[in-house]
Formats: sequence, structure tokens, C-alpha cells
Amino acid sequence: MLRYLVRRVPSAVLVLFLASVLIFAIIRLIPGDPATSLAGSDASPEAVAAIRHDLGLDQSVPSQYLSWIGNVLTLDFGQSYSVGGEITSLVADGFGNTVILTLSALLLAILIAAVVGPIWATTRNHWLESAITVVNTISVALPTFVSGVLLVLLLTVIFPVLPSAGIPPDGMFARLDITAQYLVLPALCLALPVSAVLSRFLAETLRTELRQPYVLTATALGVPRRRLLLRYAMRNALPTTVTVIGLQAGSLLGGAVLVEAIFAWPGIGQLIEQAIGRRDYPVVQVLLLLSVFIFVVIQLLTDVVHALLDPRVRIGGAQ
Amino acid sequence: MENNGISRRSLLAGLGAGGALLLAACSSAVDEAGSGASAGPTPKAGGTLKVAIPDDLIPKNLFTNSNTAITALIGLVYESLTRYPNDSIEPKPRLAKSWTASADGLSLTLQLRDDVVFHSGRAFTSKDVEFSIKAYADASWHAQGQLQSTAKAVTSVDTTDPHQAVLHFAHPLGNIFDLLDTVFIIDSETVEDIKTGKGFVGTGPFTFKSWTPNSSLVFEKNPKYWQPGRPYLDGVRIGIVPDTNAIAAQLKSGQVDFAEGVSPRDIEELSKDAKKFNKTTLAGAEQQIYVGTNVTAPALGDVRLRQAIAYAIDRDRIISEVFRGNGYATNLPWPKYSVAYDAEKNKRYAYNQAKAKELVAQIGTLPTIPYTYNTALPVYAATAQIVQANLAAVGIKVELEPVDAATFVKQLIGAEFKGIWTTFHSWAQYTPSTLVVSAYPFNALHNASHFTSDDYTSASQAAWKQPDGRSDAAIAEYAKVSDELLEALFLVEIGVIPFQWVSSTRLSGLSYTKRWELDVTNAYLA
Repeated sequence: MLRYLVRRVPSAVLVLFLASVLIFAIIRLIPGDPATSLAGSDASPEAVAAIRHDLGLDQSVPSQYLSWIGNVLTLDFGQSYSVGGEITSLVADGFGNTVILTLSALLLAILIAAVVGPIWATTRNHWLESAITVVNTISVALPTFVSGVLLVLLLTVIFPVLPSAGIPPDGMFARLDITAQYLVLPALCLALPVSAVLSRFLAETLRTELRQPYVLTATALGVPRRRLLLRYAMRNALPTTVTVIGLQAGSLLGGAVLVEAIFAWPGIGQLIEQAIGRRDYPVVQVLLLLSVFIFVVIQLLTDVVHALLDPRVRIGGAQ
Repeated sequence: MENNGISRRSLLAGLGAGGALLLAACSSAVDEAGSGASAGPTPKAGGTLKVAIPDDLIPKNLFTNSNTAITALIGLVYESLTRYPNDSIEPKPRLAKSWTASADGLSLTLQLRDDVVFHSGRAFTSKDVEFSIKAYADASWHAQGQLQSTAKAVTSVDTTDPHQAVLHFAHPLGNIFDLLDTVFIIDSETVEDIKTGKGFVGTGPFTFKSWTPNSSLVFEKNPKYWQPGRPYLDGVRIGIVPDTNAIAAQLKSGQVDFAEGVSPRDIEELSKDAKKFNKTTLAGAEQQIYVGTNVTAPALGDVRLRQAIAYAIDRDRIISEVFRGNGYATNLPWPKYSVAYDAEKNKRYAYNQAKAKELVAQIGTLPTIPYTYNTALPVYAATAQIVQANLAAVGIKVELEPVDAATFVKQLIGAEFKGIWTTFHSWAQYTPSTLVVSAYPFNALHNASHFTSDDYTSASQAAWKQPDGRSDAAIAEYAKVSDELLEALFLVEIGVIPFQWVSSTRLSGLSYTKRWELDVTNAYLA
């Protein structure tokens, strides 16, 4: 297993390097200028030039990149142009909130898929199947900025049972019951499309498994249907489902950008959105690179879990 | 036959239990937001005001009043030496009790309050006046205050007496009280903390407690505040909510009692429910929406085309449809209460498509003109679309070029617009000379229109250097500036638009300054 893991590391490092170059270049291709954003609409050209010098933006782009990546490699992420503080503390605060949100959403999505997938795969009730299909299609088709607004309208304005946005005033861990209420809407909004994808994938995989000869044999031998489904078919469906969960976890990180904006959830998504708006290059660069890093790690972990669940993967890989 | 898996009964029971748990858990967070009772006429002490705003703090931009976080923080934590009433430019005492101007207009003696202390406990003195005025024009801040030309014209401050500050000027400053109204007094001992956002120490009614970037700002009552019995509130908690729909939802759900950044349509909708919401129109703290022109762009160098644009724009329609009737049409920047306001001059370019067509016919063939607007606010797009239709109707074809806020500001400061543009400007609510020496679009020496004129420059400087900004002589100079603006027409004014705020009826006593700063010194909750 260790050898399998070591073989995967170089490609991960290469992905991170290429991502750092792309991120650095792309943010600079966006029209606008951090110096003018900071200077405000009544600034003189001299004031803007002074800010550019102060921020090191008057150096060549390769020189700026080398300086930045050198600092990143020593875990010095620099300072935010607009906020003024250390990016490390900014990211730590935002990252913690995003992790709480995305993990909650992922767990919610897995929970929904774990319930809906088997029911969908095995139900013979036409109406139930149709209902699941409709809800599932809507969950995938609705963009999060639409489902988010609808959820807010329904559960905070028409039926005001949940807070519409923000995080608990006394912090995330002061009262978990309050935190849970603030989490419900953004987590549900983020989880809906992912749960729909997972449910459909799990249902299809289970249907395929249930058509396998071993299921027929087991049924003939009198193995209960529930045991067949949960112990055998589900177990065989898990490796590929875990891979899809890994991929969807990446999309959750991307989706968090919008959801955090809609629900004023102060995570890295909202931080990225604000930083891009202000052309706060150091913050955008670090956050995007961190997102890529997380995605790479998730993929690595997914592959490891896949290999643990299915020995053919690591053996095939070794050969 | 064996059951397929989870029974319908257990599924429904599970869902029901989950729903019940959810509803049971949900009640408390919403209940904690507060009751729905309206505030009575008798002020009541206590409580924390919950506020939602769309912007986060940019500490180094503190002097610019450039976003809602900054204006809220200044209004809560800091105070200025004098303060204008909202409907005039007659200064009233604040940290300065009284003042005397010299006959030649080259100095101003301010008597300061002797009962004021900073939140740190240090006494406020004349040295703080000197420090604050110098800091306002200090280049080490990323964005300097818009009145820096006036601040730089204050050559020295005599601080011999700790309770008296004597300001000396390079030349008479007709807008000196604009500066004294705008510059807030900061604590020299903690000024570095401002730049990093670690601390904000002033003399105002609330002390700064914490700032969580991207999330919240928290303030507590200043127990040493110089106004006895104020403030009523124990604190103010501001949530940063970038999405305007989310802000409106927070107000509707009672999660906050006051919000800035609500769209005109939401304000109109919310204010229909007078039992729950109050609308505050910030009269005296207006902005002006305008169409700027690059006078060096093809065809726009011809003043007849700029006049045709001015005649073609249906200002009343824009005020009515885009701003939901909040504001009024204008040809000049001055609001109606301004000493420079002239009703007759303001009709010069009244909506007249026939005249516009006539001017277009005189010019001949016109190129398509790029029309840039900022996508940050929906009102810019809506205004640009109406202007585009108005211009098309008289034969002027424009192509809309939406850009984000950062790109727009870059093009504005760099004078990079290829044709025309739309945005707001401010500072016309102050002494008229402030507009022409401080607001970038009007700056005679350098502006986004590439407009230069000796007559306009001399008129602007003469207005600025009047000893008394409200005197008849000053008003005569403002009239010359108005004539120059109408003749050159490098900026085509559309209308005067006051900001609007929405608050729940639980909140009373909400106020503001001419710079849109939040003033809750006298505010209280039900």
C-alpha cells in the first residue's frame, strides 16, 4: 500500500506546480488592478503608482511569481492587500468554516444517497420511483443560487423557522444546537445536487449488482433480499461509489463559493469571491492553490480507499 | 415475498422524526433574533443592535468613506470637530465647542471640549486635531481622504493650548468646515492598529471590540462617552452579508433590525409593511448619477454631441423606474438645498428629443460609442439600458460594456473610458467648491473626461479660495462654475439620489451624517 501511495505522489506534486503557475497567470489576466481598487475612485495616478510600488506590482511578473512561490514553500503566505492582516490567519478562519460547511453537506449528501439509493434501486412502486426521479432531477438541475434563494424564502421568510444567513453570533462551538440551525440551509443547498448524483449512481450500481448471477444463486438458496442488498450488493457497489464521492467532494468545494455568498457563510468561498472582486492577488492565489491541494489530497485518499476496498486496484497498479 | 429493504412505514417515521427534531431545534435561533414589538416613544436603554451590511472593512481605506463597513465604523467609533445638519452647510459644534475665523480668512481658531477622552482613557487635546488632519492627507494610507487638497492647504496647527487649536491656511478655504466635518479624530498612540485592522480608538459613543474579516464587526457602549446618558444601546453587532437578497431576507426574518445595501425594489417592497419596517431617506447625504464623456473620444470632442446626449436622456424615467421615485432629475450636480442650486439653470437640458435629433443631424454620421458601466449594482445596468434606448431614439448608437467594480475603478482613475460611462459621484452635498477640487470626475486639473479648460480651472480655484463658502461672493463664483459645467458638458448629470436605509420598527432614533455614517447615539430598541 505504501508503495502504491508513493507512486501517486509525483503526479500530485506536478499538478500542484502547474496549478500554481496557472493560478498566478490567470488572476493577472483579469482586467482591473489591485492598486486602483485600493486607491478608490478619487485617487490620483501618483497615489496609484505609489501603491503599486508598495505592493511590489511594479516588478516583472516572473519575478513576482518566484518571490511568491518561494514564500509559499516556506509557508509564508504573505499579507492581504485589502484586509492588511496575515493571510494565514485569514485562511485559517475561513478554512475552518468551509470545512464545517462542506463536511456537513457531504455527510448530508451521503446520508440522503444511502437512504434514497437503495429504495430507488429496489422499489416496485411506480409512484415512489417517479417521485424520486422528479426530486432527483430538480436537485441536479437547480443551480445553487436558485435553490438557495428558494430555501431562504421558504424557511426564513414564509415559515421563519431557520436563520437566513451568517454564522452563530457567539461562535461555531459555543452552542452546537444553534450552530446546527445556521448550518441547515447552506449545507442542504450545497448537498442537494451532490446527493442527487450519488443517489442515482448508487441506485444504478445496485441495480447492476442485483442482476448478477450470484444474486440469483443466493436468492435461490433463500438468502433474504434485505441481506442480499445491504451485505452483498451494497458492499460491491461501495468502491466505485467512494470514487464518485471523492469527485463530488471536489465539486462541493467549488459550489461552496456561491453558497457561502448566498448565506453569508464566512468561509474560503466568500473570501475568494471578495478577494477576486478587490483583486487581492495574494489571497486569491493562496486560496485557489489551497483548494487544488485539498482536491489533490482528496483524490489521493479516494484512490487509497478504493485500493483498500478493491485489492485488484493495487495489484493491477503494481503490475 | 421478502421486503425490499426499508419499509414505507419506517421511512415515513424517520422523515417525520427528523422533521420534528429540525423544527424543534430551529425555533431558538430565530427567537433569539428578538421580538417583533415596535419601539415606543420613550427611549429604553439596553440591547444590542443587529445590523447587516454588504461590505467588509478595508482598514487602509478608512479615510475614504468608500463602503458601508467604513461608514458604519466611523459613525460608531469616531467623531469630527464640527458637524453639519443634514439639510445645510452651517457647522454645528461637536468636539469643537466654538470657533472664530480671522478677517483675512487665513486662520481659524477652534475652542475644544475639555471633557472628552479617547476609548483608551487618554484626554483629547489640540495635538490630536493636528495629528488627525495630517494623517488624513498622509500618503502612507493606501487611499487618502478625498478632501486631501483642503487638508494639505492647512499649513500648520498651533497646539500651545491643549483645548484650543489654531489652524493656519495657505490661502482662504471656503470649504474648511467640510474638512472639519469630514476628518474624524484618531488616537495617535494606536494609529498603526488602524492600518492592520487590530484596533480603532476614537472618542465616539461605541468602542471597537472585534473584527472578524468576512464575517462581523462588534462594538460595545462607550461608558466614558461625553454626552451624558448616551448611547442607549449596549452594543452594535454588524454582520457582513455580501448578497443583497440575503440582506433583505435577514430583515424580513427579523434576524437583523437594520440593513444597508438593500436594493431599491426591496426597499419599496419592505416599506409597504409600515408595521414592521421604517424607511429612512438620507436627505442631505445624496449621490448623483451621471453620464461621463471622454471628450477626446471620436465624435465626443464635439460639444454638440454631448449636448444631444444631455437633451436625449429621459431623466424622470430613470428616477421613476430605476430608483423607484427616490430622487429628482437635474442638469447640474447641486442638490436643491445647496447654495449653488439654480432652478433656471437646472432646466437647461430638459428632456427634448427634437433638439437632440437636430444636433445629431448637424453633426452628421456618428460612430458607435462604447458605453461602460459597473456591474456591482443593478441600478447602473438599468440606467445604462434606458440611456441606450434614449440615445438610439435620437440616432446615437451606443454599445454597452459592462465591467466589474475593480475594472471600472481602474478605467475611471486611469481615464481609460473609450466613450461614455455611468456611475455615481458625491460631494455636491457639501460646500460647492469641494466638489470641483475634490471629486475626481470634476477635478479641473485631472479628470476621467480628459477635459481641460483655463476658465473652468480658474472658476474652480476662485470658488475654493473664498474666505466664507456661504457668502454672496462665493455664490457668485459657484454660478460661474455652474455655467462652465453647462457649457462644457463633459459630465451629463442625470439626477440627485439620496441613499435609503431600511430598519425594523423595533429600532428608533436612527440617524446619519452627510457622509452616510451610521449614527445610533440616540437609537434604542423596543
